[in-house]
Amino acid sequence: MKALLYIETSGDKVLGGSVELISAVKAIDAEGTALVIGNKVAAGTVASFGIPVIYTDSVATDNDTLTEVLFEIVKGENPDMLLFANTALSKDVAPRIAARMNFGCVSDVIGMSKNDGKVMYTRPAYGGTIFERIEVEGASVVTVRGGSFSKPEAAANAEITEKNVQIPANAIKAKIVDVVKEISESVNLEEAQVIVAGGRGMGSAENFELVKELARVLGGVVGATRPPIEDGWISRAHQVGQSGKVVAPKLYIACGISGATQHTSGISGSDYIVAINKDEDAPIFEIANLAIVGDVTEILKGMIEEMKKVKAE
Amino acid sequence: MQILICVKQVPDDSIEIRLDNKTKMPNLNGVSMVANAFDTYALEMAVRFMEANGGNVSVLNVGAEDSTNTLKNCLAVGAKEAYFVQDDSFVNLDALGAADALANAIRKIENDKGQKFDLILCGLESTDEITGQVGAMLAEKLETGFVSRAIAFNVKDGDLQVNQETEEGYNVVSVISPAVVTVSKPEYDPRYPTIKTKMASRKAVIPTFSAAEIGEVKQAIVRLVEYVEPPKREAGIKIQEKDAVLAVSAAIEQMKKDKAI
Ligand SMILES: Cc1cc2nc3c(=O)[nH]c(=O)nc-3n(C[C@H](O)[C@H](O)[C@H](O)COP(=O)(O)OP(=O)(O)OC[C@H]3O[C@@H](n4cnc5c(N)ncnc54)[C@H](O)[C@@H]3O)c2cc1C
Repeated sequence: MKALLYIETSGDKVLGGSVELISAVKAIDAEGTALVIGNKVAAGTVASFGIPVIYTDSVATDNDTLTEVLFEIVKGENPDMLLFANTALSKDVAPRIAARMNFGCVSDVIGMSKNDGKVMYTRPAYGGTIFERIEVEGASVVTVRGGSFSKPEAAANAEITEKNVQIPANAIKAKIVDVVKEISESVNLEEAQVIVAGGRGMGSAENFELVKELARVLGGVVGATRPPIEDGWISRAHQVGQSGKVVAPKLYIACGISGATQHTSGISGSDYIVAINKDEDAPIFEIANLAIVGDVTEILKGMIEEMKKVKAE
Repeated sequence: MQILICVKQVPDDSIEIRLDNKTKMPNLNGVSMVANAFDTYALEMAVRFMEANGGNVSVLNVGAEDSTNTLKNCLAVGAKEAYFVQDDSFVNLDALGAADALANAIRKIENDKGQKFDLILCGLESTDEITGQVGAMLAEKLETGFVSRAIAFNVKDGDLQVNQETEEGYNVVSVISPAVVTVSKPEYDPRYPTIKTKMASRKAVIPTFSAAEIGEVKQAIVRLVEYVEPPKREAGIKIQEKDAVLAVSAAIEQMKKDKAI
């Protein structure tokens, strides 16, 4: 089985979720080739994991160009699978390639196994309360949820092959004419080890500061449910869940969060979940390792002080 | 501008859907079928545009189940026309099949009306399967431009411009019309129907077609083998101290014990 792995890059950096694809194809004994577009340094980084790399020099700053480059390479390589990390970019591009190639498309895969030569994909549906097991007839395009497979280890450098792709001018139908930045802070929820997240139960922007304070004390990142974002207590970059970020920290502290599936589907990869809620029947408690029943502002104030002591120890 | 919104009918997402122990299927008992949340955001966006600039907003559903009620609810919140393609052969549609059926239906409606749609909106994803594939695939099938994650759109100097949500804010994307655009959550919520609009939509006649009337049904290449329960997280420890100070110290003790801090 031949697998092509699209490696997403940002500057010279290789996206963490993309290199996990190397472990994903190992899990099903597929023969993987990585594909890096427009960044030679990143191509070298990927080759150092011992996986052969196809490198193209094309500058794919828009998704129409990227789709075209991928399409041309997939046509040439004829893989059985094309894998992506499940990011906003791949959600845009992956189904377009699938439609062009008439490949089956499976999104947000959290597990893969091989049975009688066929790959079985596992993915969450219905906000994560139900898992689907899926098979594809013929070749497939797959997006894999970050954190589902381990990071690969360094190995002997593999070969990098350069390929050229010509983009016809009429391939580009959508052009970015302006980039508006409303949020200047960088929020790296996906790779955070500690996340302190606040929900509507925080009650006000002022109280939400307690969530930020605890995150600061713990050296963690601030997360949020949708309501605090809609109320303007915190920016959208902090949203965790189905339409926000999928996270997998060691510690997740949920403050004043009810536990709607649209939120919890994004946090189920956490190692340890602490939930603070005044409602002892809050659904969040069903998935929490540690449930604290009580008023979240009082608990947080106390916890900030105690954690400062713990950190000073 | 002639705008079409592709609407999927899904189980009400405010109710938690679990697997039925016996049938191993999602238990939809007593769960009402509604328009997918992201599709309602797309509809609201389009209706606001129509109210400000004129034009027309239509909705389209393809599916195996009766969706007349869902489509009528769309009419009650501002859509002017609704179309429905219902066929039993749509039961196991995969995303490619759904995109194909939608593309066929769109061509048929355009032919019947003698007028093309300038903009086709889909929700970013559906709340049941959450694949987020159909909009992008539809653009490929119709060979139009595509923009994902719209939070607003506008016409500027005759050009269609879409604000595409990003990590830091948004990109303004100029796209050749006709285009397919998927819609994320904008800043506003969809409106509710009034008694008057509800009454009026109840009387509406919705043109309904069969699969054979619009094209052929392609066999699904993505197949659901089974549904399974997600692995259960172990039931945790509950701290129910009235006194916040005691609750906090008990919590910290436990977290230390569990090596969480
Ligand atoms: C299509 C769609 C996509 C969505 N995507 C997302 C997503 O990505 N992420 C997301 O988070 N949501 C998402 N949502 C919204 C989601 O359905 C819920 O509405 C949201 O997660 C609820 O947020 P919450 O838990 O903060 O608020 P609520 O559900 O209102 O819960 C607040 C909780 O705070 C508790 N509380 C109140 N006061 C106190 C106090 N003083 N002390 C302690 N506890 C208190 C209450 O008991 C309650 O449990 C989406 C919804 C839709 C329809």
